[in-house]
Amino acid sequence: MDNTIVISTPPHVKSARTTKKIMLDVIIALAPATIAGLVFFGWQALVLIITSILGAVAAEFVYYFIYNGGFTKKCANAKDVCRKWLKQFDFTSVVTGLILALIIPSTVQWYEVLIGAIFAIVIVKMLFGGTGRNLVNPAAAGRVMMFLSFSLTMTSYVAANFEPISLDSQLFTGATNLSGWLLNTDNPSGHIEWIDLFLGTGLAGCIGETCKLALIIGYIYLVVRKVIKWWQPLLYVVLSAFLSVCMAATVEGAGFDISLFVDYALSGGLMFGAIFMATDYVTSPKGIYGQIVYYVLLAVLTSLLRFYTKIEVVSFVIMIGNLLVPLIDTYIVRKPFGYRRAKKAKEGK
Amino acid sequence: MKAVKGKIFFGGVHLKDEKALSCDSPTEVLPEPSTVYISVQQSLGKPAVPCVEKGDKVKEGQLIAEADGAISSNVFASVAGTVKEIKRMTAPTGAEETFIVLESDKSGEKAYLEPLDDPSAEDILGRIKAAGIVGMGGAGFPAAVKDAPKTPVDTFILNGAECEPYLTCDHRLMIERTEGIVEGARLIAKALDVTQIVIGIEKNKPDCIEAFEKYDDIKVVALAKRYPMGSEKHLIYSCTGRKVGLGKLPADVGVIVHNVGTAYAVYEAVKLGKPLYERALTVSGRAVKEPKNLWVKVGTSLKEIVDFCGGESSSPKKVVKGGPMTGIALADYDSYVTKTTGGILLMSGKEADSMEPTPCLNCGKCADVCPMHLMPMQTAFYSSAGDYENAAKLGNTLSCIECGACEYICPARRPLIQAIRKTKAAMRERAEK
Repeated sequence: MDNTIVISTPPHVKSARTTKKIMLDVIIALAPATIAGLVFFGWQALVLIITSILGAVAAEFVYYFIYNGGFTKKCANAKDVCRKWLKQFDFTSVVTGLILALIIPSTVQWYEVLIGAIFAIVIVKMLFGGTGRNLVNPAAAGRVMMFLSFSLTMTSYVAANFEPISLDSQLFTGATNLSGWLLNTDNPSGHIEWIDLFLGTGLAGCIGETCKLALIIGYIYLVVRKVIKWWQPLLYVVLSAFLSVCMAATVEGAGFDISLFVDYALSGGLMFGAIFMATDYVTSPKGIYGQIVYYVLLAVLTSLLRFYTKIEVVSFVIMIGNLLVPLIDTYIVRKPFGYRRAKKAKEGK
Repeated sequence: MKAVKGKIFFGGVHLKDEKALSCDSPTEVLPEPSTVYISVQQSLGKPAVPCVEKGDKVKEGQLIAEADGAISSNVFASVAGTVKEIKRMTAPTGAEETFIVLESDKSGEKAYLEPLDDPSAEDILGRIKAAGIVGMGGAGFPAAVKDAPKTPVDTFILNGAECEPYLTCDHRLMIERTEGIVEGARLIAKALDVTQIVIGIEKNKPDCIEAFEKYDDIKVVALAKRYPMGSEKHLIYSCTGRKVGLGKLPADVGVIVHNVGTAYAVYEAVKLGKPLYERALTVSGRAVKEPKNLWVKVGTSLKEIVDFCGGESSSPKKVVKGGPMTGIALADYDSYVTKTTGGILLMSGKEADSMEPTPCLNCGKCADVCPMHLMPMQTAFYSSAGDYENAAKLGNTLSCIECGACEYICPARRPLIQAIRKTKAAMRERAEK
């Protein structure tokens, strides 16, 4: 043991939580959704999850290795660079890879998700400066890129392992079942049973997004561990579902049907996005007022885009929201303790 | 009076308080040291001017350096003996200060001021100034200046929160010298002409709350255990519900706050005529053999104190003068007790975290815990790029009380307080230009 006495500015005690521990908490919170995905979608899901995580971590490592001069001087410093990388490794890339795998359908090819993961890490995260510096959520951006590049596999949702629920001999899936109901408003049998929607049994969708029960377990874990604030995903999901119900009522022939609320809240990637992606520290506002503005903005955008585009929009919305965060942070500055009184005094003069 | 619950402010952190290490050991008196090093800079403001010369004989409690200007305080000899030397030395803050070195002759001869039996308000104020009493909580603001507010005040608050972890000297003082503190509080209240005396004590000290409930003229407020409850502005809010505006003084909302230690010093100065040259402090941490509460003379070297507590039990990672959240880290024991030293902590490697900072995650935890509702991460972000103006503007840095809650909670271990101090200094420099 070294006997040196350390000098630093106060405080001299620190809380035990580190970035690494927080990221491990997120991974633990994602575990139920991952397990549900494996149960529902089988080995295809497993291949995608492993490929995505390995791709993300490897991409981060290679970028770090090159950036820190691992190849210079005939790889003389390679060992040091590896050691340094291990020391700073904080599981953020694992989280990115896992989330990316959970928000894609199980029919996606393994090389497609690999490209998505590498894109998410290298282009979206590392090029902007690595952990804490990326402008948009890497997983959301990765998904959007994959959606645009491999639109065929990315939109064909298949329910595996369980008997698929068919509606009018057509598979309605993910957010797309929303469009199904809206188009078939005269056909009330177009509803999926809520219990199926909640448990994800037989529901076609993305790997990690179908089982809402698993997501809620993850949500409770994150709240209990104080990784996220309880009201953040709640505000997003509830407000967005409510606005969607209101908008659905504007369609000709459709009345205000509050029972649709559950369908909107539980469908598609909304819940997963609200719990795990929108709450990403790096790409959400810092002050409490900024956060409220941010989640309201996400909710409004989600319901608007869902209503007009009828595609899976949550990752698009989160990306748009992320890009507005620097603006929110600059213009919404918290008022310090005792501020109001100072203002009153000025008015008094 | 029966204790009432205090209001809870938004923000702040729950700390592991670690007070159990020393809160049950009664205050012991440290044997008189053979040599004391008394700095003339014992309070905020200007240093005092030495009024003794090398070779002079002094008695315990004799004035050895006189206050220079309004914000300054008198300094007294803490032992009887001879002035060995007057020299410049570097203090732990990095600044060079004048120290008066006294060699004790063990005679213990005292030279106190005249005790006042039935003092008027002016007498009390005069005595507070003459006895060199400063804020004993840590800031060291001369009490006489505080007690001459420009606006009328109606409430006097005694600060018994002691929200810093480890420190228990105020806790012991409140149990052992309750009568003296109450007496001192009454004297200050008389000098200020206030209608009510309030004492705020954190709930983790139920024995103290009980001790003060006996007095009918004192309103006891049981404060929630949350750091920084002892910060002046937050204590006022918790006890009275009044908010001190930015850049305003507590007196502007009709309140004056003093630490319990200060009240006790006032009692001693007025009733016994004893000037301020001794104080209670806590020696604690897991690297010291016997954590203790001690009654120590100003100018005693830390080495002597640590030796009295049995020395190190393991080699400390950090030696801190003051509390763990705001105290100064020392490189060695070559430092001396002042009027404001509330504790000496020897922290083991387990307690004092010295991990390398990792990149900021923008998690916003620092803003969540900030009791002043600031945005420390903005300060850190902009100041690291040298843009101090935006750092101060977006982070509202100039209102920071430097409590350290943000850096405590930071999962990335960012040096936030350092960034804040840097920004403050840069802004001050800019304002001077």
